[in-house]
Amino acid sequence: MENISRQDCSAKVLVIDDEEIVRESCVRILQGKEYIVKTADNGEMGLNTLKEFLPDLVLVDLKMPGMSGFEVLDEIYAFDATIVTIVITGFATVDSAVEAMKKGTFDFIPKPFKPEELRLIVHRGLERRCLVLETIALRNEKEMLREHFAALVSHELKSPLGAVQQNLYALADDLEELLSEEQLEKIKRLQNRIQDLVKLINTWLRVISVDINKIKEQFEPLSLVPIIQQALETVEGQAVRKDISIKAKFDDDLSLISGERGTLTEAFVNLLTNSVKYSQIGGEIQVSVCQEEDKIAFSVLDHGVGIAEEDINFIFADFYRGKNLPEGERSSGVGLSITKKIVEAHNGTIAVTSKVGKGSTFTLRLPALDG
Amino acid sequence: MAKDVQLLIIDDDPDYVEGIKSTLEKAGYAVDTAYNPKAGFKALESKKYDLLLLDIMMGRGAEGVMVARKINKDPKLREIPVLIITGIREQMAFLFPGQPVHPRFLPTDELLEKPVDPNLLLEKVSHLLSLAEEKKLDK
Repeated sequence: MENISRQDCSAKVLVIDDEEIVRESCVRILQGKEYIVKTADNGEMGLNTLKEFLPDLVLVDLKMPGMSGFEVLDEIYAFDATIVTIVITGFATVDSAVEAMKKGTFDFIPKPFKPEELRLIVHRGLERRCLVLETIALRNEKEMLREHFAALVSHELKSPLGAVQQNLYALADDLEELLSEEQLEKIKRLQNRIQDLVKLINTWLRVISVDINKIKEQFEPLSLVPIIQQALETVEGQAVRKDISIKAKFDDDLSLISGERGTLTEAFVNLLTNSVKYSQIGGEIQVSVCQEEDKIAFSVLDHGVGIAEEDINFIFADFYRGKNLPEGERSSGVGLSITKKIVEAHNGTIAVTSKVGKGSTFTLRLPALDG
Repeated sequence: MAKDVQLLIIDDDPDYVEGIKSTLEKAGYAVDTAYNPKAGFKALESKKYDLLLLDIMMGRGAEGVMVARKINKDPKLREIPVLIITGIREQMAFLFPGQPVHPRFLPTDELLEKPVDPNLLLEKVSHLLSLAEEKKLDK
């Protein structure tokens, strides 16, 4: 980062103080190989200089005629919050200095100060700026990695798989007349497994690369009932195959909630799919939606395999899979973690109670809209 | 059969292109291929195409998006229906924040996800072609 490397050569310090003697002594003490120092004798001028000079650190006198030190500090934070500020105070203004520090000023130095005191405090302030910039750089890098990871995975994993599948489709089509039933079945199996892989990669991509908070831009007032009914329809097929009956009970006159339809549907589908997945054949699942004062609670109760005590704290983590998966069922280990992220983006909560061999209850609560 | 229907595929993955090309040719379409945007535009200038199949993620980023935008600005090229084929449906929302997952680049385009089922591919292609035909008749 440009800003950090600048620290390696000389740091830029701006002194804003109406007393000439203070400005001059600051320059005398600091000017040299390590620092470039500029000064201003009032707030307005100081801020003008700041915008051109782009200092790493600013020394601000709190008591100046005209624009007050506090106003100057506010403007500096607004301009670039990573600039370290240190206030210069007379004894009478120590209280204000503390006030300034509460608002983000790094430290204060009382007048009169010794050269050593000034050097030390400026040096420490600059160390602080280095740290802040490094942290920001790291955070940006992490964010970039996250975003690039998606593009990378999609190109390096998905593209080859896509090419394989597309050729397999073409090949199957070419050979359709020539191959035996059994051979065609083998090709079908290949296609299915590749399809599963593609789906899995898509799901992983969502967990890693998608910033769920973006959905907040699309929030609108929604009634949960039709959304849950749609989710119920989606899982009906899976339930019927396992001979599982789902009993749903909705309170009348439920409040609306603020949310995004697509992701909420996904959250409900995930919870319902899980309850079907972890239920025994012929089991029963109970779904209820009710008003709990300022919240709407959705709960789904199954009598399935339940969640082991050592698993229960981890089930909402990315890629975590419980040990009790019934035979023939598959889990990517991301359904619940996505669900939790969706619910939290909606300012809601998700809770679970479970007993091995008895079943589990997942309860999802969303804030109700007034009126 | 759609014998004299001329399609162009712009996609930077030759292996992938082989797959859909073979499906399309079997259905009777004449298919040209270009493996980068530059070759794609060269082809578009040299010949009249009835439909373009366009990959979105080419090269180092979403170069296909640039192709789509450039086509959209060209009064002659924008008449060509475009079928967008992408491996990144999930990330489309990132490239086009605030838009539905199915962003429309051009007035007539459609979007399919890689890999695409051959029947679905042929269905979309013939649908887009007949839409373009109707539009021509309207004029």
